[in-house]
Amino acid sequence: MTSNLVQFFKPLASLKLTIVCLACAMVLVFVGTLDQVQIGVYEAQLRYFKSFFLYFSLPGSQLKIPWLPGGYTLGGILLVNLVAAHVSRFKLSWKKTGILILHSGLILMLVGQLVTSVFEEESQVQLDRGQTKNYSESPYLDELAIIDSSGANTDEVISVPASRLAKGRSISLPEAGLTLQVNDFYENAALVGPKQLPSENYPHLRVGPMAVAVPIPRTYKQDERNQPAASVSLMQNGQQIGSWSLASGFPQPIQFRAGPKPFTIVLRPKRYYRPFSITLEEFRHDRYAGTEIAKNFSSKVRLIDPSVHENREALIFMNHPLRYAGLTFYQAGFGNNDATTVLQVMKNPSWLVPYISCGMMALGLVIQFGMHLISFVRRRVIA
Amino acid sequence: MKKLVPWIISVLLLGWAVSHMLPKRPASGFDVASFAKLPVLAGGRVMPLDTLARVSLSQMNHHGIDGTANNESSAQVATQSQWLLDVFMMPEHADIAKVFEVTNPDILDLFGWQKPGNYSFNDLQPFFGQIEQQAGLAAQTDSEGRNAFQRGIIKLRDVLRLYVQLKNTIQAQDSPDFGKEVQIFQQIVGPGLQAVRDRDAGKSYDQQAFERILLFTQRYQNLAQAKYALAIPNRAGKTENERWAPVSEALLASIGTGNISYPVIAYGRMISSYRNGDVAGFNETLAEYQSFLKKNVSHELRRPILEYYFNSAQPFYQALILYLLVFVLALFSWLFWPSTLGRTALTLLGFTFVIHTAGLIIRMYIQGRPPITNLYSSAIFVGWASVLFCLILERIYRNGIGSVCGSVVGFVTLLIAQNLQFDGDTMEMLRAVLDTNAWLATHVVGEALGYSAVFLAGIIGIIYIIRGVFTTSFEENTAKSMGRMIYGVVCFATLFSLVATVLGGIWADQSWGRFWGWDPKENGALLVVLWNAIILHARWGGFARERGLAVLAVFGNVIGSLSWFGVNMLGVGLHSYGFMDQAFGPLLTFVGSQLAIMAIGLLPLKYWRGIRARAAKISSEATREPDPVTAS
Repeated sequence: MTSNLVQFFKPLASLKLTIVCLACAMVLVFVGTLDQVQIGVYEAQLRYFKSFFLYFSLPGSQLKIPWLPGGYTLGGILLVNLVAAHVSRFKLSWKKTGILILHSGLILMLVGQLVTSVFEEESQVQLDRGQTKNYSESPYLDELAIIDSSGANTDEVISVPASRLAKGRSISLPEAGLTLQVNDFYENAALVGPKQLPSENYPHLRVGPMAVAVPIPRTYKQDERNQPAASVSLMQNGQQIGSWSLASGFPQPIQFRAGPKPFTIVLRPKRYYRPFSITLEEFRHDRYAGTEIAKNFSSKVRLIDPSVHENREALIFMNHPLRYAGLTFYQAGFGNNDATTVLQVMKNPSWLVPYISCGMMALGLVIQFGMHLISFVRRRVIA
Repeated sequence: MKKLVPWIISVLLLGWAVSHMLPKRPASGFDVASFAKLPVLAGGRVMPLDTLARVSLSQMNHHGIDGTANNESSAQVATQSQWLLDVFMMPEHADIAKVFEVTNPDILDLFGWQKPGNYSFNDLQPFFGQIEQQAGLAAQTDSEGRNAFQRGIIKLRDVLRLYVQLKNTIQAQDSPDFGKEVQIFQQIVGPGLQAVRDRDAGKSYDQQAFERILLFTQRYQNLAQAKYALAIPNRAGKTENERWAPVSEALLASIGTGNISYPVIAYGRMISSYRNGDVAGFNETLAEYQSFLKKNVSHELRRPILEYYFNSAQPFYQALILYLLVFVLALFSWLFWPSTLGRTALTLLGFTFVIHTAGLIIRMYIQGRPPITNLYSSAIFVGWASVLFCLILERIYRNGIGSVCGSVVGFVTLLIAQNLQFDGDTMEMLRAVLDTNAWLATHVVGEALGYSAVFLAGIIGIIYIIRGVFTTSFEENTAKSMGRMIYGVVCFATLFSLVATVLGGIWADQSWGRFWGWDPKENGALLVVLWNAIILHARWGGFARERGLAVLAVFGNVIGSLSWFGVNMLGVGLHSYGFMDQAFGPLLTFVGSQLAIMAIGLLPLKYWRGIRARAAKISSEATREPDPVTAS
């Protein structure tokens, strides 16, 4: 039985496989890094590292040929390879302690990073001095929110990710008993004045009395975001309630009624609501004397969580984030003449794993190479 | 006696280097050396005027002051500080010093010039309008998209602005005699203040005094635009931002108090004396001002004075030359007098390492930081650590390879550092996220140690290949010990780069909220770790033996250089403090050369002269005496 198991694991445990995988990983990291110049860090992450395969499509054809395993595939194979190697080859011996600890740490790190990449959630909260918010917004994603404000204390928010919107698509929203009809959709749109349109026939959506949205190509620049625009209709029981043009770059909530219920509709950066709120009390931007070089940014915030009677001040500054309720708030930017702070909000349930795994890896390496070194020195002394 | 030869030669060469480290004697009777030591706040830190001069000049041209030295119209300008003294006190002299480098052919065309070279402020004056206009246009293009002309014209505009700022640092550039101006201001400030008060109170007031003080106020408010370097120490200042002030601010402050602060008066007197050629007067005021500083702000003086001597010593430049000498000695030792020359090389390497170390430590003290704070200092540290590793290897193996490798890595890294220092102040203040000594000392130093080991392994790999393919001095023992050296060094490279990369992840988690973000710099570090892991696994699996290890180690140079410099050229991501864009050509050349060496290393063994020579030796020995096994 055991020998069968070993036979089964043998090809999976091959050292050649390890080397091939590591080499593929190098190629992946290299091209994924180069491509960041074109498509930015976020998009490169999705295409190269949080993917199963990289595809190459022949010009002029729909055929997609996978040419390199993506991050998930490589990580998975390496994980299996490593576990198989330990099961089939490794014997428990003092000489192998270092390698064993090192590889266990590596396994833990790979698993931890997999968990991270699945559950990680990145958003931002922008606060003016004195402003309070109980939500953060995605820096990349948008949503079409239909808000049922008939409740006494709370609003019911139905969120349709912008990625699901496409021209001609019909989406049913059973929670509200409504159907969403997408008449037109731009992945990214610029807002201009009505008079700036080159001609009446130029594709555009009138999103306000003084603003029209015109389609522009997707952007991958680090300091820009895509701002979609859409023209949508809402139907109830086959009857149209209303039709609106909306733009994420101009997120004006529009009120309407469906039967007796008051609703609001808005296209906006995707929001993540929290059971607590944050208020910006003070933002500081310290510079080195006589220069414009930033020395420190800090935000003094008040954290209020009624559910656990928490009401306290916290100071967020460079290299010193606020961790609360599984979220990390860190100082990411500022604007508006230092009156506005931008905090990055990360949800990462496995943030502690790297700390443990890296400790193990370092320990394993030190033990392993330490033993090498000692035996090397001994041999020389004897010689 | 023979034992002493290496020591004698090394000490002589060291003495020669040290003799170049002492400060140059001033060219004129004016005490330029003391002037050069005066402290000033620029770029967020207190530095000696000597550094201000060097940093400014290095931005204007690639030769520092050399560009002016061979120019008749300003023959008296011998040192950087002398130049700054003119800029401060005799701008009409500085205006004809040819310090602005113009080499771009399109920029030369713009001015109707042909010869690339250094030009003076006055040469450029007729074209200021054009420069401003063209630079304004160029600035509208994203910095990555700018061509050589656009980069050049923006740079030229910036250094001209810097120069004008410098001219207005301690006086208004148009002041005929600043010393007198300060005196007059002192006389009118009291009555002027009274006139202002009277006028505000609605009483009759001294019209003339009022107008005068108004005129001076406007003059100094204009001067307040120049605030690149703050020259006036302010004892009363409590916060960091108040401890230094520009001259204009000190003068404006005296309108409130009626008293002009002593440093302004001292500078005014120095200017008057300097302009009148009054050497004794100048030196006397300077000495007085120095003792004033000593009495009042002595804590601000220690580092600038040390930095002055550090600047004149240029320890890294001396080390650069010495490493080159070590390399030559070590190479010759493979051909003639192996033991004497070999030991000389090693002794000199040790001495050079001492200079390198001293420079590193003094830099750390002056800056109050761990050794690496930017690309420049990373080059210095990577070189230092490599040489340290080499000295240890040489101690163990005693085969001269350590000396060669150490001198090569030391020379190359210091050469890189020399070229990186033209970006400005090498001890610049750190941007907010980097302002943490704990991480700088662990993550950054660890990465640099990793790079050092990677490059060291690569160099040994190159020596292995070159000696094996091209020379006959490739005994089995030497080859074997080189193989072991590469393996050992790669182990260290793995340890340092892995631990440092993971520490970097933890730093990122602390400051950006994520452990790993696939940012280019992070990916570069990951590539180094992956490559080292491949080498080690290939060796353990028996896929790469001695020669394979050498070839793989050379590729480590490629990965290391891409990770160290290449990713900074992409201009993407959060690690945006080490960006550079001009070294792309040299980097590509380096990568190409390493690939070529790898190709040579992969030549079939029959083309390896070293192996052939070894085989020939064995077969000739075999014919001479019968094989003991068959004989028995």
